[in-house]
Amino acid sequence: MKGRTAAILAAGAVLALLAVLPAFVMPYHVRVGQLFLLSAGLALAWHILGGFAGYWSFGHTAFVGIGAFTAGLLHVHLKLPPMLGFAAGTLLGGCVSAAFAAVIAYPVLRLRGIYFAIALLGVSQVLGELSQNVDAFQGALGLNLPDIVPDAIRPEVFFYYCFLALAAGIFAFSAWLRGSRLGYGLAAIREDEDTARMLGVPTERFKVLTFVLSAALTGTIGAVYAYSLGYFTSGSVFRVDFSLNMILHALLGGIGTLAGPVIGAALLVFVTNVLLGRLLDVHLLVTGVLVVGLVLLAPSGLLGVLRDWRARWRRNERP
Amino acid sequence: MSAPILSTRGLTKRFRGLTAMSDVDIDVPAGSICSLIGPNGAGKSTFFNLVTGYVAPSAGSIVFAGRRIDGMPTDTINRLGIGRAFQISKPFPGLSVRDNVRVGALFGADGDRDPDAVTEDAMTLAGLAGHRDAAASSLTVGFLRRLELARAIATRPRLLLADEPCAGLNPSETAEIVDILRRVRARGLTVLLVEHDMRAVMEVSDHVFVLEAGRKIAEGPPQRIARDPAVIAAYLGTDAEDPG
Repeated sequence: MKGRTAAILAAGAVLALLAVLPAFVMPYHVRVGQLFLLSAGLALAWHILGGFAGYWSFGHTAFVGIGAFTAGLLHVHLKLPPMLGFAAGTLLGGCVSAAFAAVIAYPVLRLRGIYFAIALLGVSQVLGELSQNVDAFQGALGLNLPDIVPDAIRPEVFFYYCFLALAAGIFAFSAWLRGSRLGYGLAAIREDEDTARMLGVPTERFKVLTFVLSAALTGTIGAVYAYSLGYFTSGSVFRVDFSLNMILHALLGGIGTLAGPVIGAALLVFVTNVLLGRLLDVHLLVTGVLVVGLVLLAPSGLLGVLRDWRARWRRNERP
Repeated sequence: MSAPILSTRGLTKRFRGLTAMSDVDIDVPAGSICSLIGPNGAGKSTFFNLVTGYVAPSAGSIVFAGRRIDGMPTDTINRLGIGRAFQISKPFPGLSVRDNVRVGALFGADGDRDPDAVTEDAMTLAGLAGHRDAAASSLTVGFLRRLELARAIATRPRLLLADEPCAGLNPSETAEIVDILRRVRARGLTVLLVEHDMRAVMEVSDHVFVLEAGRKIAEGPPQRIARDPAVIAAYLGTDAEDPG
């Protein structure tokens, strides 16, 4: 239990540090922080399905888009007061994402591995096209959302805290989930689905539930993201790079670990926006090299490498 | 003989043209250790796959504890009280021994339980208590078999199907597995064993069923089965089939 207390203290310290950070850094760095927290939140939401259950979605941006469009269209049609609209849009964005996931769950979750990944990629592409070409969605023209930021606070700080709350919430949820009965069932599904079934794990029900949860959280982030943009088109929310970054962040940090998606997001956002911020013409190239290097040298992610080191160290210690 | 906990009637499985199991009637008495033997391809694994719902029978019925279970999904069958230990060990390699067993304890048969107590108990029963923190991927074959058994036992089954738990083990490891099976039975569980190791079968079984080419050719106490001409012929061939 000593390790657990230490982990809770560390998570609390990081949260406290992130909470006071905007008071001490330049606005540009608050924006970088906002991007990091958005990325961490998305990676954590993806990881609930991809990391715990082992179902890698290559099209999770579909749910970012659904969340964003739900919030946008809700505003266009109902014109609620800004703050109420924001709250309702965020809530509904998660709900519509969840409902959509529930509808497609049965066919797509029959697929495993790469087939599931590709099916979701297809779903996200189709939704992107639909939002762009069906007039009712106004995705080509773009949707405007009202300014909801209170006068006393700068917009980048406001959304920084929005994304911090989301990421911290999803992190806490993941921590609970991992130790729960559902979490053990998902680990069994990830490791060997047929054996899991033989041990009485209701695999179908658990997979659908997890898929819906992951979609709901991603859709909620999508709605808040839409508000942070103010104006968005299909292209700003149905983004293949969103889908890929969720996977990449989780992978670099360590799939199956709790903090992996956060550490991966921190690393990549820091490298691309701070270290290479002045080298715009080569930063993607350097990022690419870095990613390839990390995947080759540390296939189990940064936390995976740490765990292996610790295990080796313990073995050496005890002859 | 006590009332059967598992009985099949006319159990038949056809895979397209191939009849893997044909008209098999088997009654496993509650509280016994029974063995299912037969040459390779006799249908032993098919029988296990049918009982655990991995494949659905083409004809016939399977009744477990008074309830028709044929056609039910695997996880439902497990929750009703049938556990299975696989021949080719299928541990969850990324999890520790304890977490592997804990999955069984958290799921498995319906009803109240304390998952920690069930996990500890199953590990102790299978002689794994000293390895609880080891990664499942680091275990030797003998310990993987114990893990298979522990995980299945943790699901609190009334009937344990053990698929060749002794295959590839040395005599002392085999003796330990036999010991575990006896302890399982002593708790009131019924065990149905598929096994090639005849010494283990003869030593531990109350009753033996013999399959050949998907049919039941004999059944009875082990001593009688060992002398049954049909069984000897199935294993060694008859003079008529022997070209030499």
